[in-house]
Amino acid sequence: MSIVTIQNLTKAYPSFKLDNVSFSLEAGRISGFIGRNGSGKTTTIKSMLNLVHPDGGEMYYFGLPLSGNEADIKQRIGYSTGTVNWYPRKKIRDIVQVTRCFYDSWDEASYRKYLAMFGLDEDKTPLELSEGMKIKVNLMLALSHRAEVLILDEPTSGLDPFSRDELLEVFSNLKKEGVAVFFSTHIISDIEKCADDIIYISKGRVVASLSKEDFVSRFSLDGENLENTFLRLERSEKNE
Amino acid sequence: MSNTLRKELKLCASILSYLFIAFGLMFFLPGYPVLCGPFFVCLGIFQSFQNAREANDLVFSALLPISKQDVVKGKMEFVCFIELSAFSVMLIATLIRMTLLNDAPVYNANALMNANPFALGMALIIFGLFNLIFVAGFFRTAYKFGRPFVSFIIATFVIIGIAEALHHIPGLEALNSFGFDNLPLQLMLLLGGAAIYAILTLSAFKISCKEFERIDL
Repeated sequence: MSIVTIQNLTKAYPSFKLDNVSFSLEAGRISGFIGRNGSGKTTTIKSMLNLVHPDGGEMYYFGLPLSGNEADIKQRIGYSTGTVNWYPRKKIRDIVQVTRCFYDSWDEASYRKYLAMFGLDEDKTPLELSEGMKIKVNLMLALSHRAEVLILDEPTSGLDPFSRDELLEVFSNLKKEGVAVFFSTHIISDIEKCADDIIYISKGRVVASLSKEDFVSRFSLDGENLENTFLRLERSEKNE
Repeated sequence: MSNTLRKELKLCASILSYLFIAFGLMFFLPGYPVLCGPFFVCLGIFQSFQNAREANDLVFSALLPISKQDVVKGKMEFVCFIELSAFSVMLIATLIRMTLLNDAPVYNANALMNANPFALGMALIIFGLFNLIFVAGFFRTAYKFGRPFVSFIIATFVIIGIAEALHHIPGLEALNSFGFDNLPLQLMLLLGGAAIYAILTLSAFKISCKEFERIDL
């Protein structure tokens, strides 16, 4: 059953257009959102979170339209990005202390678990952390309030191979708990490793939104791995 | 305390916002334009806006399970908290000048505006202007604050100039009353200032909510 439905999302900029983006996310499945830089991944994610106002389209979470239910919906979703630093000079402890007050379902045990798992020190500030560790702080915040949907913008970019593997393991565990994980990436091996569904976006249009098996059977040539399939599809999109 | 105000105090506030509350003590200074005090208090608040912008606070806040209106409300609560704290300092300074220091020669020979209820009312008007011009101007982009702050500086120094000049106009000497002279008029002027502060702040809040709702982050 779909717990997130995005229908005909449209947003026009002078040099770029998000063109009728539609897909859905299901509970207990990991969806990889893939596309090259500038294809519209971040604009789509920002629209899904109402940071950007779409020109058109509908977004439903748990059967409720985002418009008019934003605060309630955001209680049940988690978001993380690998590209923005929050409060670089504040201790993680202080950021967490403030953040937890906003969530009805903040789970201190989960917070402690991910703090230990990611090897984070609460007394450090984001400024003192590497890019990879900053991503882990964002992820820890997203994972600590029992989110039913996780929306992650390039969470694995900047992580070392061990941390990436660890994170994909976390995704698989969350999936078992019924969480819908939606993550954008341009690292094909991450998709290959853990995604159940693939949403492929190019030039602001969703080219395909399929299960991984269906995607491979529809687009991959004999013996071709996923990375080569995407490269070939991107080249043909570019030539169109 | 609301969660949004707690966030402002713990994550966004610059130490200068708190320290500059002490500029309320400028109401003790003789021979100095006392209304520069509220201006410096606003300068301290400006530092917190700068801190918040560098920390990507508005995007972080917009991702929290609250409405955009609550984000603006948190900022406005913080601004009013600092302003009213500074106002309390100014009020105490004014009361001390009006009572314990009533006979002090330096205050009796004060060439500039006296610290009195009218000055307190003017201080509130300056705070209201800060909210309307700077805070609401900032939320137009949620990023650029140079132009709104320069506009506020210009407006404030015009107001300070007018306030300092008014009591020199024949018939308006009562504006510069000393001690408890002309108390009913002075209190009315203070209440008038408070009413203008409330109207300007409420307008600033409504405009800020409207602008912040409209922009893409």
